[in-house]
Amino acid sequence: MTAAATAPAESVRSANRPQSRWLGFTLRRGGRLLASLWVLITASFLMIHLIPGDPIRAAMGPTASAEIVESRREALGLNDPLLLQYWNYLQGLFTGDLGTSIGSQLPVIDTIAQRLPATASLAVLAFLVAILIAIPLGVAVAVATRRDRGRNLELGFTGSSVLMSSIPDFLLGVAGVWIFGVTLGWLPVAGRSGPESYIMPVLALSIGPAAVLARIVRVEMLGVLESDFVRTARAKRLPAWRIYLNHALPNAVTASLTLRGLLLSALVAGTVLVENVFAWPGLGSTIVQAIQTKDYPLVQGIVLVYGLGVLIINTVVDAILVTLDPRTTVAED
Amino acid sequence: MKTRRILRTPLGIAATTLMALVLLTAIFAPILWGDAAEVVDTDDLLAGPSPEHPIGTDNLGRDLLLRVLVATRLSVFLAIAATVIAVVAGLILGVLPLLLGRAGKPATWLVGIAVAFPGLLLALFFAVIFGSGWQGAVLAVGFAGAPSFARLCQTLVSAVAARDFVAAARVGGVGRLRVLTRHILPNIGEPLIVNATIGAGGALLAFAGLSFLGLGVQPPEYDWGRLMMDGLAGIYINPLAALAPGIAVVIAGLAFNLVGEAAARSLGIEVGAGPVRRLVRRMPQPSASPAIDASEPEHADTVLDVQNLRVSFPGPDGEITPVRGVNLRIRRGEAVGIVGESGSGKSLTALSIAQLVEHPGEVEADGLRFLGEDLLHGDEASHRKLLGTSLAMVFQDPMTSFNPTKRMGSQLAEVASQHGDSSKRDALARAVERLGAVRITDPERRARQYPHEFSGGMRQRAMIGMGLMAAPQLIIADEPTTALDVTVQQQVLNLLESIRRRDDVALLLISHDVSVVAEVCDRVLVMYAGRIVEELPADRLQEAAHPYTRALLAAVPDMQTDLNRPLATVPGRPIDPAQLPHGCAYAARCPLADAHCRTADPELTPVRDDFRAACWHAGEPLPNLAADAAADPFETAEQVEADQVGAEQAGAEQFGAAESIDVVVEVQS
Amino acid sequence: MSELSFDAVTVRFGGGRNAVTALEDVNLTVPSGRIVGLVGESGSGKSTLARAAVGLAPLASGRILLDGRPLVQNRARRPLQIVFQDPYSSLDPRMTIGASIAEILPRGLGRVERAAEVERLLDQVHLDPRHAASSPARLSGGQRQRVAIARALAGRPEVLIADEITSALDVSIQGSMLNLVRELQAELGLSMLFISHNLAVVRYVATEIAVMYRGRIVEHGPAQRVLTRPQHEYTRTLLAAIPGRQPLTKHEGART
Repeated sequence: MTAAATAPAESVRSANRPQSRWLGFTLRRGGRLLASLWVLITASFLMIHLIPGDPIRAAMGPTASAEIVESRREALGLNDPLLLQYWNYLQGLFTGDLGTSIGSQLPVIDTIAQRLPATASLAVLAFLVAILIAIPLGVAVAVATRRDRGRNLELGFTGSSVLMSSIPDFLLGVAGVWIFGVTLGWLPVAGRSGPESYIMPVLALSIGPAAVLARIVRVEMLGVLESDFVRTARAKRLPAWRIYLNHALPNAVTASLTLRGLLLSALVAGTVLVENVFAWPGLGSTIVQAIQTKDYPLVQGIVLVYGLGVLIINTVVDAILVTLDPRTTVAED
Repeated sequence: MKTRRILRTPLGIAATTLMALVLLTAIFAPILWGDAAEVVDTDDLLAGPSPEHPIGTDNLGRDLLLRVLVATRLSVFLAIAATVIAVVAGLILGVLPLLLGRAGKPATWLVGIAVAFPGLLLALFFAVIFGSGWQGAVLAVGFAGAPSFARLCQTLVSAVAARDFVAAARVGGVGRLRVLTRHILPNIGEPLIVNATIGAGGALLAFAGLSFLGLGVQPPEYDWGRLMMDGLAGIYINPLAALAPGIAVVIAGLAFNLVGEAAARSLGIEVGAGPVRRLVRRMPQPSASPAIDASEPEHADTVLDVQNLRVSFPGPDGEITPVRGVNLRIRRGEAVGIVGESGSGKSLTALSIAQLVEHPGEVEADGLRFLGEDLLHGDEASHRKLLGTSLAMVFQDPMTSFNPTKRMGSQLAEVASQHGDSSKRDALARAVERLGAVRITDPERRARQYPHEFSGGMRQRAMIGMGLMAAPQLIIADEPTTALDVTVQQQVLNLLESIRRRDDVALLLISHDVSVVAEVCDRVLVMYAGRIVEELPADRLQEAAHPYTRALLAAVPDMQTDLNRPLATVPGRPIDPAQLPHGCAYAARCPLADAHCRTADPELTPVRDDFRAACWHAGEPLPNLAADAAADPFETAEQVEADQVGAEQAGAEQFGAAESIDVVVEVQS
Repeated sequence: MSELSFDAVTVRFGGGRNAVTALEDVNLTVPSGRIVGLVGESGSGKSTLARAAVGLAPLASGRILLDGRPLVQNRARRPLQIVFQDPYSSLDPRMTIGASIAEILPRGLGRVERAAEVERLLDQVHLDPRHAASSPARLSGGQRQRVAIARALAGRPEVLIADEITSALDVSIQGSMLNLVRELQAELGLSMLFISHNLAVVRYVATEIAVMYRGRIVEHGPAQRVLTRPQHEYTRTLLAAIPGRQPLTKHEGART
C-alpha cells in the first residue's frame, strides 16, 4: 500500500536527480542562449538595413560625391543581395571580423578591444557595490519592518528608495562632478586615471540599482519570513539570527535572482550614460559618438558586445539559481 | 472611488499634489513663458545666477529657469507618448498567446528573449534606426519598453486565464475574444495602469538620457535632457544650468513613480486597514472562568495545563479576539483532539500553546504551564531549550513546511546541534536514525535529499521524525493529515499512535475532521468562535450534548449515513471573530436558541460524567432537524447568511470587504 | 437526458521525454439520468477526466460520446457543463452574479427573459434572486458554489460534471450542498459525473461508483457493490483507509 501510494510521485521525481538536473539545465539554457544570440546577431545585422533612406549617404553628408558614396557602399558590401550580406556577416563574426569603421577606417574589433576593459571594469565594480549595499540593507529593513513593525522606518525606506531610483544615474554623475570634482576638488572630474577616478562613476552607476534591489530583497525576505518553513524553524526554537540568515536569506535571494539579472543588465546599459558624463574612455562614449557620426559598422559591433554581455549575465544568474535552489531545473518563463 | 481611496493616504496626497504640479506646469508654462524663454540677450551669455536670471542663462543669453519650466510640456508629453506606444504594443504581444493559442507561441518566445535586454540598449538600437529627433526617440523609447509590458501582460493574462471562471465561460461557449474583453481585460486593468504609470516615470528618465546623449530632442526644440547636455559643458561656470533640469526630471519622475506606488499600495492595502467600517462592538471581555482547576487537583503527570487562554489581534476597528478563554489540560500519554471549522480558533490555540504566535498577535492566559514550567514568566532561554526538546510540532502542509533549499538530514540535525551538545556529525547520525524510526526506507540516502524529492506522506513522517530528535513529552499536530491522501493519512495517524503508545507521549491533535479525531484521540474538544463549547470522550461522540456538535456530526456523511434522508444542515455560516454577538456565539445558528441564549454566554459546565458543554440547552432534543431540513433546508440558512453579509458590508466597497474577511480568516487558521 | 461515455480516452501532458500520461485508455459511461461517482486520490486523473470531457484538456486519443455520437460543444449547444472545486476562483470578481449566469444562457433571449431566467435559476439553487445584482465578493463560499451550479444549469446541460464541489467548503456547509445535488438530480433528471476524493460523500450521492488509480479506471459498478464487495485491490485499500471504520455517529434525526 505504501509503495502504491508514494510510487507515482517518486517516478516523476527521479528525473530531478542532480546530474540530470544540470544536464537538463545546460541543454535548455544552452538552447535558449543560442536562440537569443541568433536574435541578437540578426537584429544587429538588420539594423543598418532598417534605416530609412541611404545610410551611407546619411553618414557621409550631402556634400560627398555620388562616386565616393557608391564606392563606400561597394566596399561595405551593401550592394550584394541581402542573404549574401547576412552570410558574409555571420562568416565575419566567426573569424572575429566585425567590419571597418566608416569614420576611422580601423577594424571595429580593434576599437572594441581597446575600449572594452574600461567599460567592463566599471560595470563589474558597480555590480559588486550595488549587491553589497542592497542585500544587507534589504535584509535588515525586512527584519525591522516585518509584521507591521516599524511603520515609519518602512515609509522612510520606501520613500527614499523610490527617490533614489527616480534620480537618473547621469544626474548623480553630474551632481558628483560638481560637488566632489569642481567644488571640493577631491576627485577627478573626467577620464580614467587612477583608482580614485573610479569612485564617482561607480557610485553614480550603482546607487539607483542598489535602491531598487534593496526594495526587492526586502519584499522577498518579508514573503519568505511568512512561509511555513520559517514557522517550522521557529518551532525548532532556533535563535532569530539563524532563522534569518540560514533559512530565510537563501530563499529570498533565489526568489529575486531573476529580477536581479535584469537589473544588473540594465546597469550594464547605464554605463553608456555615465561614461558620457565622465568622458570615460569606454564603449559607452564610443557608441554615442558612433551613432552621432552615423558610423554604423562600429554601432553594430558595440551593440553586439553589449547584447552579449547581457546574455552572459543572465545565463550566469540562472546558473547560480540552479546551484542555490535544488528545485529549479531551469529558470523558465 | 479608487481615486478617493488613494487620496486618503499621506503618500497618495503627496503623490497627487506633485503630479498636479507637474501637469499644470506642462500645460501652462509654454503658454505663459513660451515666448519669454526664447528671448536672446547677447549681453548676458552663459551667465551665472542673478536676480534677473535665478539660475543663469544659456549660450544665447536665454533665461534657463523659464526654459526648464517650458520644457516640462515636451518632456512629459514625450514620456507619455512613449508609454502609450509601449503599453499598446505590449498588450498586443501579451494577449496574442491567448487569442491564437499555439500560433501565439512565437510571440511569447520573442518577448522572452527581448525582455532580457535592458531598455536603454533597445532604445539606442531603435534610435539608430529611427534617427535623431523627438519622433524617432518616441518610437525608440516606446518600442524599447514594449517587451517588459508584453511580459507583464502575458503574466497577468495567464494568471487570470487559469482561473476557473474563465474555464467555465469557455465551457459555456463564450468565444476567445469575448473571454478576453469581458473577463480578462477588466481583471488585469488595475495592475496594468499602475505599472504604466510607473513605466511613464521610466520613460521620462529614458528620454532625458537620450536627449542628454544628443540622440533625442534636437535644437531648436528642447527638453530637460537637452538642457542638461548643454549645461554640462559649462559646469565650471554655472553648475545650476546642468542640475536644475536634472532636478526637474527627478521631480516629474518621482510624481509618476509615487502615483503608481500609491495606487499599488492602496489596491493592495485594502486588505486589512482598508475602508471597511465594521459595526463591531468591543468584544465582551472573557470572564476569568476557573472552570476546571478548582474542582480538580493538578496531577503530577500533567504535561500541559492551560487556563483561560486568549489570543487577540489588532483589527481595523479595535481588537479581534479569535481565541477567547480556552482551558485545557493534557496528561502524560493522553491524546486530546480539538475539532472545529475554519475560523473557530483551533489552530491559533495550538500555535499559542507552542508560543509561536507572532506580533501583532497577543497571547494572554491566567496560566500556561508545560511540564510544570510557567511559560508566561521566567527565563526565555530555558523555555527555548525546554520547548525545543520536549515539544514537537507537526504542521498541516508538509509541502511548504520544510526549507526547500536545505537537505532533509541537516534540517533534522539542526534541532540536536542547537539544543543538545552533539557535534554536527552526531546530530546528522541521529537524524538518519530518526528518519528510519519514522519508517522512511533507506534513511541515509534520504537524509541527503531535498524536501521536494520526498512525497507528501514521507515529508509528514519526516516532520514527525524532526519532533523526535530530542525526547518530546507532547506532540502538537495541527491538521497533520488534511493535505494528504486518505491512504497516506492512515500511515501518518498510525505513526503518531505508535509513538504515543511506545513513549507515553501526549498528543494534541487539531482537525476539522471529526472522524480523524475520533479514531486517534481519547478526549475531544469542540471549538466554536474561539471557545471550547463541548468536551467529551472520543468513543461517545454520538451522545454529544451541544447542539453544534450534534449538527456537525449529522452534517457530514459517513459510511453509515442513511441514504434515504437528506443530510442535516447547519444554517448560517461560521462566526466572524470581528463580529461576535452578545450571548452565545452559536445562538444565531441554533434551533434551540431562545432570548436567554442571545444575552448570556454559557460557560463550559459538566453535563454528566466526562461530558462538559457550554450551552443553556445542553442535551435537549433538537426539533426534528432532519425532517426540517427536508422540508426547507436552505431558505433559513441563506437568509441568515444574506442578512449577515448585508449588515457587515453596508456602505463598504465590495472588494475591500471581501478581502478583509479573508484576512481575518487567515489570521486564525 | 443523455448518456455520456468516454471511449478509450488518453490524455498526455507535455511532450517528448517529459510527457506525463494523465489518463490512459479510460472507458467510462455515465448512464442517462444517473449519478456516477468518481473517486481516487490526488493525481489519479479524476480532474483531468472532467476537464477532458468539457474540452479543457486535449485528448491524445479516444473519443467522448454523447448518446453514442461524438460530443459537439459550441456556442449554440453546450450539453456538458462543469462545476469546479474552488468557489473563490470560479466567479469573475468583476461581474455580478446575474451577469455571470446570463453569459451562459442560450442566445436569442430578450433582456426581460434573461432576467427571468436568471431569477429562476437562482431560485432553483435556493439563493435569493436579489443576489443577481451582487458581486461575488458579497457571497460566502457555499453561496458562490450555488451560483456556480446555477451558471452550469444556465447552459441547459444534458450532463453535469461536479469536480470536488464540496471539498473547499466548511464541513457545516457541505451537507446542504450534497442535498442540493441530489435534489437537482431528482428534479431535472440530470446525468452527472460526481468527482470526489471522499468515499462517504460519493456514497451519499452516487448510484454507481468508479474508482480511478494512476490514470485508469480500476473498478466500476453499482455503489453498494463497490463499497461492500470491492473487486480491485486498490479499492480495498481505499476503503480500509477511511478513518473511523467503526460506526462513529448515529444520526441526529434518528435519535429524535
